[in-house]
Amino acid sequence: MAIDAHAPPPIATGPAAWLRKHFFATWYDTIFSLVFAILIYLALKAFIGWAFVDAIWRVENKDLCTHDAGACWAVIESRGRLILFGLYPYEEQWRSTLACLAVIVTIALSCLPSFWSIRRLPILWVAGFTTFVLLMRGGFAGLELVTSEQWGGLSLTIFIFSGVFVIGMPLAVLFALARRSSLPVIAKSFGFFIDIVRSLPLLTLLFAAAVVVPLLVPDWLQGNKLMRVVIAFAIFFAAYQAEIIRAGLQSTSQGQEEAAVALGMPYWSLVIDILLPQAFRNTLPSTINQAVITFKETSIVTIIGFFEVMASGNAAIGTGEWGNQYVEVYVFLALIYFVFVFGLSRYGAWLETRMRLGHA
Amino acid sequence: MSQIFASQKFRRIAVQGGFILGVVALIASTILVGKSNIADQGMATGFGFLEQTTGWPVNFSIIEVTGRSTYARVLWAGLLNTMLVGFLTLIFATVLGLLLALMRVSSNTLMKLVGASYVEVFRNVPVILQVFFWYAILTHLPSPKQAYTLGEAFYLSNRGIMMPAPALSGSDMAWLLVSVILAVVFLGLTRERLRLGPRWAIATGAVFIVFVVVLLTGREPDSALISTPQLKGLRFVGGITLKPEFTALLVGLTLFGASYIGEIIRGGLLSVDRGKLEAGRALGFSTFQINRLIRIPLAFRAMLPSLTNQYIWLMKGTTVGIAVGYPDYFAIVSTSINQSGQTMELLALLMGGFILINYSIGFLMNMLNDRIKLKGRS
Amino acid sequence: MKNILTSLAVAGTMALGSVTAVQAEGQGLLDTIIERDSLLCTGHNGSYLGFAEVDGQGEWQGFDIEFCKALATAILGSPDKLQIIPVSWAQRFPSIQSGDIDVIIKVTGWTMTRDTELGLQYSRPYFIGPFYVMSKTELEAEGIADLEGGVFCVNAGTTVERVLTDYMETNGIDYEPLAFEKGEELRAAFYAGRCDAIAGFGPFLSATRVNADNPDDFEILGDVLALEPEGIVVKQGEDDLLDVINWMVSALIMAEENGVTQANVDEMKANPPTASIGRLLGSTPGVGARLGLNDDWAYNVIKTVGNYGEIYDRTVGEGSRYKLPRGLNNLWNNGGLLYPLVLD
Repeated sequence: MAIDAHAPPPIATGPAAWLRKHFFATWYDTIFSLVFAILIYLALKAFIGWAFVDAIWRVENKDLCTHDAGACWAVIESRGRLILFGLYPYEEQWRSTLACLAVIVTIALSCLPSFWSIRRLPILWVAGFTTFVLLMRGGFAGLELVTSEQWGGLSLTIFIFSGVFVIGMPLAVLFALARRSSLPVIAKSFGFFIDIVRSLPLLTLLFAAAVVVPLLVPDWLQGNKLMRVVIAFAIFFAAYQAEIIRAGLQSTSQGQEEAAVALGMPYWSLVIDILLPQAFRNTLPSTINQAVITFKETSIVTIIGFFEVMASGNAAIGTGEWGNQYVEVYVFLALIYFVFVFGLSRYGAWLETRMRLGHA
Repeated sequence: MSQIFASQKFRRIAVQGGFILGVVALIASTILVGKSNIADQGMATGFGFLEQTTGWPVNFSIIEVTGRSTYARVLWAGLLNTMLVGFLTLIFATVLGLLLALMRVSSNTLMKLVGASYVEVFRNVPVILQVFFWYAILTHLPSPKQAYTLGEAFYLSNRGIMMPAPALSGSDMAWLLVSVILAVVFLGLTRERLRLGPRWAIATGAVFIVFVVVLLTGREPDSALISTPQLKGLRFVGGITLKPEFTALLVGLTLFGASYIGEIIRGGLLSVDRGKLEAGRALGFSTFQINRLIRIPLAFRAMLPSLTNQYIWLMKGTTVGIAVGYPDYFAIVSTSINQSGQTMELLALLMGGFILINYSIGFLMNMLNDRIKLKGRS
Repeated sequence: MKNILTSLAVAGTMALGSVTAVQAEGQGLLDTIIERDSLLCTGHNGSYLGFAEVDGQGEWQGFDIEFCKALATAILGSPDKLQIIPVSWAQRFPSIQSGDIDVIIKVTGWTMTRDTELGLQYSRPYFIGPFYVMSKTELEAEGIADLEGGVFCVNAGTTVERVLTDYMETNGIDYEPLAFEKGEELRAAFYAGRCDAIAGFGPFLSATRVNADNPDDFEILGDVLALEPEGIVVKQGEDDLLDVINWMVSALIMAEENGVTQANVDEMKANPPTASIGRLLGSTPGVGARLGLNDDWAYNVIKTVGNYGEIYDRTVGEGSRYKLPRGLNNLWNNGGLLYPLVLD
């Protein structure tokens, strides 16, 4: 059977060819491109009209805010501080801002590869976290004492997020090692525990931590509600993160472990110096992804009575004056979450590329 | 030598024994402290309240529930509601996720762009906000009297989407559901072609027969086979109504879930060896055939574990239903806690319900995994 | 597992400082509050219009909050010794049982289940909440019966849910219920037209109406579904604290009855017009000691928050944006249900 020789496909260049290749390659590409171009145009036009062109920006013009007008951003001017700081005392809100910055700097620093060492990272986090608590809580050096019941807004969201991370990470390592343990009872129990926690909605764990735990443990062990909730959240995070770390541990070659045992390395040294650094490096993208999910999930604590940013957003519209501006407030909240989460996920994507190229 | 071995063995036993003792002690002390605390507070405990009537109604349920139903029945209705919206979400999100993944790996730049922006937007905003958003849109539709209509049979208003439906009662629906589940189990268990014909044809045929039988026997005499929605006073009567609460939750969760599932599927698709795709092209398969026969089956195998995780995650996501007034299991439990005050018992039931659902998902997915593994011997 | 949890919890407790006081055997909650020098009272997770809302500076305001302040002042002498703990509706009972809060002042209806099975105790009602139905003017309903077949929205987990069910069953009205966890979502759904009517607590309905773009689009129907007496809740067995609460509520009412206001309380204290006012304001010593408080406890309360009528006007009544009429929450001699106890 003879095969006809085809001429090589013509090499097309120029904008027309580029357009054809990317948007109009086949008839269904063409239809798709046209329909979506129109839809995107309409959506953008409506959104820009609402959010910018017809928007009302200043509180003085509040009377103009009706259903027919555009976005009423005046609500953010008037209630923005409530959304960002919650119930934190008005005069002391600079502390909340500083504390927030401290944790953000910590997060940013720990994203730098030069901080990725099993000793530097914990030190950095403990330092950042302590700064945060000291600033928020005060009660020394003339700073007014602000108890955790009054913490709120973005700094509470960030506190819960970082608290969960700081407590959850070591727990996750422990869970992962326990599940891999050669002792069957321990491996099985932790496996069972992790699976159970993973199949529960976070909300049920938080609810239990907030209201049931106080009935089940002696008084001296109760701590305060925020602490209980952060610990429950951390256990939840750890159950997920443990599986990620376990996958990372499995991906390190068996030979290294055997070599270390042959050299007579103690177990803990094997884990800390050889296994964990590799496991963490291999699973960084999934860890970032888990962090993103955790950040979004902090919004759930509003249901058990904490004034994190979602709850204070709700409180901002829960007053007579601004009751109808809920769309604007929700858009504002979505933007806050988006900034953090998008930043983290872009960073994750960058890491993925970097590692694929073999830098890490 | 044997001595060291013996002592190591002893240490292993001692550590494990100590661990068991510790866990038992923890549980025992928790129970003891709990008991004494509860006794101190004079709180009523136990599951006796499940037999009491609730005194409050439920807005949406598959089974009949009124203010005179018992807590047990209302909780069961809540669990069914969660499963309904959860499983529908899984199905729709998977289909949409597949489309998204195909868009992102396609050669059309606009498709890629739309797919990528979709994923970034829907993945990076908390799902509860998204559900709020859809609910706000659905409730700002016109009132029943000014409803949009399509041929006087379909209506769209702020009371939901009304459609004509076969006149089936609740118990008929239950029978139908049972037969569908049996059919799925049948498909799962049988492998070979049966003597009667292809497996899927037998299963579908059986479900159809059940459907016809219940449709003919279950309804009231002289009523129409198909009931269409009609405006009566303040509301629509007849047909089937998709309430805004249900729709908003389903749409919100589906769109959110699809962004994650899409990424998982994309990862799976990218993991398929290029050579196999090129081989398919060389054999003269069309793009559609390559996707259906080579790419998707191979990718499916690679992504099944993460997909299982995501499914469990989405199932748990139904708990945001409470925010828009959908009576899912969590919302019902929360209301019950408020009305009866039996916090601990109800929380235990809540956890138990989710463990049950999520273990079933894990079990089904593992079964699927085993089947694919067998098939993949080639 | 246990060790880790234990040490974490202990570390956490030490890092943040425990707010849950260790309650010694036999010590009443009142003593604990005095020892701690602060009162833990309920707020809301969000806002409950007129009763507990947050202003632009993060300060709590509202009718219930004023009662929290009054109680803190009565016991500890200052409204600043008050910690408002935000709790949701669902959380209020578990929170008081676990000791996260000392009292519930959160328009909580006095029901038998709560009183008996939950191990709680109610004070005398400090507010009488009638349940009404609000509907849209365009539906031209004159009574609840005219809304047959409509969608009725309620707050989930509240007594309204049950009251509405009973009323509709008694009167044989067919309806479709829809329950929301939060007031904000309930209001949004009603404004959007998802519901034909809201059933609820009178003040909440008025506030909802006032907040609408055009309040005239909505009207509150005359039919009363039921009355709900709202009490302040403490744990069973905290009799000392309950005494203080009951007499504090009585003092606020008595002050209004006798014309004692925030403005003239100093003068009244110096020259009590009657002997009982003298006892109330501590001009005659010995009354406060019966409650385990200072003699000027009631003086401090009125000096800080005013009398019952002043609190009402400022937060939900004529002086507020909600303009809620006094109705049943007026003195007995003005057609209401409020009366003071006998201060002898």
